[in-house]
Amino acid sequence: MAILNLNNKANWLRRQVLEMAVNAGAGHIAPSFSCVEILVALHYGGIMRLNSKNPSWPLRDRFILSKGQAAVALYAVLADLGFFSKDELMSFTCDGSRLGGHTENTLAGVEAFTGSLGHGLSIAAGLALAAKMDKKRYKTFALLGDGECHEGSIWEAAMFASRHKLNNLIAIVDHNGLSATDVLKSYLDVEPLADKWKAFGWQVKTVDGHNISQLILALKEGHGQKSQKPLVLIAKTIKGKGVSFMENNPIWHYRIPVGEELDIARRELCHE
Amino acid sequence: MSKTDKRWVKGMRDSFFDSLFKIARKDKNVILITADTGAICHDDFKKYLKSQYINVGIAEQNMVGLAAGLALSGKKVYIYAIAPFATARCFEQIRVDLCCMDLNVTVVGIGAGYDYSTLGPTHHGTEDIALMRLLPNMKIYSPSDSLMADMLAEVTYKENKPSYIRLDRTGLPLIYKRKNDIDFDCGFSILKKSTDIYIIATGRMVLAALEVSKKMYPDVKVGVIDLFKIKPLSVNKIWPVINKVRNVITLEEHFLNGGLADEVSRILTDRKSKIIFKPIGIKDCFCRRYGSRQYLHRINNMDTDSVASAVKSTLRT
Repeated sequence: MAILNLNNKANWLRRQVLEMAVNAGAGHIAPSFSCVEILVALHYGGIMRLNSKNPSWPLRDRFILSKGQAAVALYAVLADLGFFSKDELMSFTCDGSRLGGHTENTLAGVEAFTGSLGHGLSIAAGLALAAKMDKKRYKTFALLGDGECHEGSIWEAAMFASRHKLNNLIAIVDHNGLSATDVLKSYLDVEPLADKWKAFGWQVKTVDGHNISQLILALKEGHGQKSQKPLVLIAKTIKGKGVSFMENNPIWHYRIPVGEELDIARRELCHE
Repeated sequence: MSKTDKRWVKGMRDSFFDSLFKIARKDKNVILITADTGAICHDDFKKYLKSQYINVGIAEQNMVGLAAGLALSGKKVYIYAIAPFATARCFEQIRVDLCCMDLNVTVVGIGAGYDYSTLGPTHHGTEDIALMRLLPNMKIYSPSDSLMADMLAEVTYKENKPSYIRLDRTGLPLIYKRKNDIDFDCGFSILKKSTDIYIIATGRMVLAALEVSKKMYPDVKVGVIDLFKIKPLSVNKIWPVINKVRNVITLEEHFLNGGLADEVSRILTDRKSKIIFKPIGIKDCFCRRYGSRQYLHRINNMDTDSVASAVKSTLRT
């Protein structure tokens, strides 16, 4: 898909997330907006090999949404790719829905149960290790939040992955600098984030997380032929990206726009 | 110490892992992960099945997540640490990664109750049953001797579900002579029959219950039930057995809160039973004394003399 089309796909995804969340009166809009381009690059940019007709195809690439709060965005992508019906999207978190605020692996296309932070990288490391054991060539991707990097378990997994030379594992940190309540810097800074990953034995690339071509380039280059190290992309992003009043404002972590706010949000997302 | 060393005694731990080793040799999808917790029998894995053995280091949370990732890829994973670290330290990983996803991972905790009697409350396995009982999809096995521990490797290998095995370092003398005497579908054995009183015990406390029964015979015929599958408990099978007597005692090396005592008392209250019930176990406090396991049992009124007098006073009421 051409970059222009991928950017259109990103805009579509933001609008879809907004409408699903508004309809439900629930969902994490701003945390999803921050990783829209990352999801688009992975799923539409020729990076991940998936088969929606055969979701458990053994050679598929694996994607773990460790920051499970972006579930609403992943659902839209999976339905768009044909893993389940698009008609189901508007049932998001409504009574009896399969589409919850965090992902479950019972849904086609979802690999793991996530939502509790700090779990995904260990699971991804297990998937990557299994690929090595079975000599399968699939890759495993894990999308982490930067606030999630507060969790000690992330660093247990990071240490493990480099020790076991998991050069089929790619972590992407959605580095928007905000968590559920505040700016990370103001209460527990994760910086220097790139240096931390380097010190844990990872190959590190820093990219603009809203620039799809940069993301695709970095992901396609991947680890490099000879690298034995797992790869992490530090994707610099803006929480709430795409809607001016949500951008970089912690109060929008779990808030749904109403009235005039909603009008502005819709307008801004259509005009891009 | 090696297996050829004369001091080496094959307890539950070594029986279990030796049996697992035999299974793993035939199935390369069997993976053993340890959080830097050793066992003599792991030497075989290190030597002959290097690619199926992982020491993740002192990182229990990662151990569970990793096991989940491997299990999602079709591996049959066993994870191993001292009981409180295998259950409490990484409880939430077990809850989400193993139980929510209902994965084929067996958590093996070593050091039931006061097994590590000299190491203090950090190493006591006194709430592991309670924690694992809380989790949907989790099965709990609490073997009473080495033969049963040996069999549990095969049982869990065939099950394809999350389970917790509570191991003791000891396991001898054997309670069971033959494998056929142990029925894992039923989950308990009636070791001594009675028409008056049953002690329902688990783990190594079954041995204590048998000693009490022997000690009090023929004055009192104390019945003994070995409850080794704590969850799911075959309520429909155990209820007709205990409903025939007037008195029931539970005996466990575990906090009274959340363990066998709670499980059995619920069976009784659900059925508005008039059975006189006396739970014996560890009261609601951390043990701040050190010494032998027998000593800790004595100060907690769990030694055979204390249990025998509990039987007497229960029968008098």
